[in-house]
Amino acid sequence: MNLGFLVGVFGVLILSHAAYSTIQYRGLLKIMEEEFSRPPINVILELIIGLALCMWAALTFPGKFLSIHPDSDENRAVFLPDNSDFMIFNHRGRLFPPQIDMKF
Amino acid sequence: MVTKTEEIQLNQLENQVENGGGGVWEYLCLVRKLKVRRSEIVLKHGLSILNDSGKRSALGPDEWTLYEQVAIAAMDCQSLGVAQNCIKVLKKKFPESKRVGKLEALLLEAKGMWEEAEKAYTSLLEDNPLDQVIHKRKVAMAKAQGKSSLAIEHLNKYLEVFMADHDAWRELAEIYVSLQMYKQAAFCYEELILTQPTLPLYHLAYADVLYTIGGLENLIAARKYYAATIDLTGGKSTRALLGICLCGSAIAQISKGRNKEDKDMAAPELQSLAATALEREYKQKAPAKLNLLTSALRNLKIA
Repeated sequence: MNLGFLVGVFGVLILSHAAYSTIQYRGLLKIMEEEFSRPPINVILELIIGLALCMWAALTFPGKFLSIHPDSDENRAVFLPDNSDFMIFNHRGRLFPPQIDMKF
Repeated sequence: MVTKTEEIQLNQLENQVENGGGGVWEYLCLVRKLKVRRSEIVLKHGLSILNDSGKRSALGPDEWTLYEQVAIAAMDCQSLGVAQNCIKVLKKKFPESKRVGKLEALLLEAKGMWEEAEKAYTSLLEDNPLDQVIHKRKVAMAKAQGKSSLAIEHLNKYLEVFMADHDAWRELAEIYVSLQMYKQAAFCYEELILTQPTLPLYHLAYADVLYTIGGLENLIAARKYYAATIDLTGGKSTRALLGICLCGSAIAQISKGRNKEDKDMAAPELQSLAATALEREYKQKAPAKLNLLTSALRNLKIA
């Protein structure tokens, strides 16, 4: 959990650094009076790595994925509860009332 | 219906509550949400909250829901004094409430005062003739007095008006099964499968009823519904696996003297596969009983 959060923060920092590098690079190009065609290779690599880290963190940090299949082990129906609308009170438990000593 | 995840959560909270680890209110909410019947634990720990005025006031408006829950649990545990006191508190807070009126009638039922309860329900029905809960209580009252035919009659009338109520269909099916009226029970389970086709427990119950009725056609249909149960539970229904083995054996016995082929192509494979799955599951969960299962399957001439 904590690792996911740290990886996410690191990914955002890498993306920010890529943006800052691009701004620096454009400033440098203006000084040299050259056309801006594409960001340098290291900035592109930073973008890809930052995106990958952010996506991984977004998928793992908030929580585990739950299964949506009705027949998976978590989702399968194990029992139907007693029909509470038709509950009756004169059952065999009447002969063995619980020893509740609490008063109310 | 309760899923595996919810069952695990319920059991964990129950253990925590019983061992004094807190989480009582979460447990009571889960019991209410899943509609399970844990009256003794609800009564004990609900009373501990109600007797603590600090905890009680911390609940806010949920306090009255807890009173209702504890009152019903107290009736189920035959602690009628506690139930009466809870209802008294609710009546003081909500003097004109129909919901509290229903609780009072429920208390009359628990005391065995059937005539007074009948009068109370009749007067409540005069104000609201389509109240489903009161109609159901009439059915439950007939069942509690042992008048099964009256309960069936009431349920049939109820289902003519509220035909989508699957709880009522289930109750009717269970009453028919208890009276060994299996054809009527099969019809009820067919209705349940029509309304909720993805619930494996209805397929399982229907297959059990068909197997009980017997006959070649019913056994073949029962095997199909056992297979549907296995499909819908991801292979985790031990009862359905046993059902397939028993159906296969019964079908083979009926078809033997008749020189009649089993039309289902997958039948022999189905039986052996079910037997293999059963053996694997017993090896995992109950190794001491594996020999018992193996000899039983050998008696059925399977695998």
